[in-house]
Amino acid sequence: MIQSSLFAYIGLSAVLFAIGFIGVLIRRNAIVIFMSLELMLIASTLALVAFSKYNQTMDGNVFVFFILTVAAAEVAVGLAIVVALFRQKQTIQVSELDSLKH
Amino acid sequence: MNPSTLALLLIVVPVGSAALTASFLRKKHALATLLSVLVATFYLGGALHLALGGARFESSYSWLKLANLSVDLGFKFDDLAALMLSIVGIVGFCVHIFSLGYMKEDPAKARYFAGLSIFMASMTGIVFADNLFMMFIFWELVGFSSFVLINHWHEQNGPMNASKKAFITNRVGDFGFLIGIILCYYLRGTVNLSELSTQAKAGGAVLSTAVPLLLFCGAVGKSAQLPLQVWLPDAMEGPTPVSALIHAATMVAAGIYMLCRIEVLMVPEALTVISWVGALTAVYAALCAIIQRDIKKVLAYSTLSQLGYMVTAFGLGSLTVHSESGAEIVIKAGVGAAMFHLTTHAFFKALLFLGSGSVIHGCHHEQDIFKMGGLSKTMKVTFLKFTIGVAAISGFPLLAGFFSKDAILFLAYSNNKAIFVILALTAAMTAFYMIRMWIIVFFGKARSDNAAHAHEGGFIFQAPLAILAILAIVGGYRGLYPHGFDGILNLVAEAEGPAKLGMLVVSLIVLSLGAGIAFALYRSVATLTQRDPLEAKFPKLFVSLVHLKESFDSLYSYYVEKVQQRFAMLLNFFDLLGIAGLLRIGAGAFSLLGFGVRALHVGRLNVYLYWFFFGVVLLWLYAAGIF
Repeated sequence: MIQSSLFAYIGLSAVLFAIGFIGVLIRRNAIVIFMSLELMLIASTLALVAFSKYNQTMDGNVFVFFILTVAAAEVAVGLAIVVALFRQKQTIQVSELDSLKH
Repeated sequence: MNPSTLALLLIVVPVGSAALTASFLRKKHALATLLSVLVATFYLGGALHLALGGARFESSYSWLKLANLSVDLGFKFDDLAALMLSIVGIVGFCVHIFSLGYMKEDPAKARYFAGLSIFMASMTGIVFADNLFMMFIFWELVGFSSFVLINHWHEQNGPMNASKKAFITNRVGDFGFLIGIILCYYLRGTVNLSELSTQAKAGGAVLSTAVPLLLFCGAVGKSAQLPLQVWLPDAMEGPTPVSALIHAATMVAAGIYMLCRIEVLMVPEALTVISWVGALTAVYAALCAIIQRDIKKVLAYSTLSQLGYMVTAFGLGSLTVHSESGAEIVIKAGVGAAMFHLTTHAFFKALLFLGSGSVIHGCHHEQDIFKMGGLSKTMKVTFLKFTIGVAAISGFPLLAGFFSKDAILFLAYSNNKAIFVILALTAAMTAFYMIRMWIIVFFGKARSDNAAHAHEGGFIFQAPLAILAILAIVGGYRGLYPHGFDGILNLVAEAEGPAKLGMLVVSLIVLSLGAGIAFALYRSVATLTQRDPLEAKFPKLFVSLVHLKESFDSLYSYYVEKVQQRFAMLLNFFDLLGIAGLLRIGAGAFSLLGFGVRALHVGRLNVYLYWFFFGVVLLWLYAAGIF
């Protein structure tokens, strides 16, 4: 019973991660890419929670707490960078952010 | 003032004047000229003060220390240096004054006078040098100033090529000189002249034939001895006062001075070679001088010939071998005769060159003697002084050249009869070509418009000539020299009794032979055309002399064009094929790699993400052990 729900959670986690990954690869808007990254992160924490429940230990949950804390800080920094980028370039389309090449 | 401070000033002040001119006074010709002449005056005063004041000193300080090799800069001021310094001072002063008139209209006067100042400083360095390294440094500097001054009219091809030829030919000799210095240091452990002399006196020092001969290479280059004599006649492309100072009186004599400095290194074999090189140069140059048409070229070949005399005199110095303490060599007589002739030659040759400068200036820069003529009427004062010079160099009794040449002839007579015959023959030829030139230039009728309108230069031309003319008359009487030079002049070997009479007879016969032939051949000077009577009467002799003169130049140009150039091209080919080829293949590979890598760099974030993904997959596969 528990095993089958574990598979469901892992499956959901994998689907979320795949959606996030594809989003990072194909989207052009920096905020959307950022959101997709967060989605991938959340997918991995979901998997951790599921494993923690399955193993009846707190290890995974502890991990999740740390990941969420760090992720919150990372989001704050990341969004600040995107805002600064927009102020500088008036765009957050990554296809136009190519000053490394041109 | 402390003598060694004064000696240092004699180098520093001319250098300072040249530096000042080069940096600030390039266009201010009058100021630069004044500065340079003032420096020459100071130099003359300082040099005479040092030489006659009886100050004789040695001082040195370490300039460069590499492990146990120490290169010193130092002064060694003895009678030899005093004599040379006085010559440089006197002739240098006369030439500076003469240049005031001769170079008056020159557009690059400042550079010319700066060049003269550099020359004075570098020549002083050679005179004072107490070791061979220091001498070499200043040796190269006189070479440089000679280059600059020959090349003064660098817009023209002649001076440009002549200066390059002079510089490159000198490099050949200097290379031997440098190797000689290094070998001397290797064998003796020192290149300090006084230490070398102490070693020689103590006996047991390593004697080597290679060292003096290699050092002699330097003298062969600088004093233009066979086979490196080719540059000196060409150097006459420079301004005439420069020819007088550098290419007649002082710089070319530096080779003889250097030989006198390194006398303690000499061995009999080396001396034999040196005396023969000198004798051959003397006779070769005299033969070439006979057919010259350019007044300065005649004087140039005569300089070569006289330098050969000095070198021979040095080589003929008597040798004393002491068996107990190894071979000890005394060649003082050679040093005395060589330096004595160097001194008198400096005076009368500078006189002749400045005289020819006066003639050239008077004839509106005409140098061909067959386009002159009749100048004894239009340029009386120059004629008088030039005559003194001609008489002095021909060995006319009671003038300077008579005594110094006799001293050398006597030395040759007592040491080597073959060389004596050669030198006597050369003396006859000297009388011949000098009197030939004198007749053609000053007698008959003017053979061109320039000569017809010849005019005498002013006081500025005549004053230096007068000083030198007086010295050319009295320079032969060793008793008249100040006692400061006794250390050198007392070394001159004196013929005694019947030998003295014999020498007198020989030199008179030689003089009258040469002069007689010249007078006979050119007696019809009034009807002289622009064709040399020598060529008309003895065409075969004339042609063979022309060939003789050109033999060295054509040999060298053959060597450079056909041997050296081809060898250089071969090396160039190997260079292109081997070294450059390998390098280019390597460089090409990296450049190709660069092209590839550059294509990956597109500047779009998504593409990088794909690469990132690709990298993660690779890493994953690797971690999974798939490869």
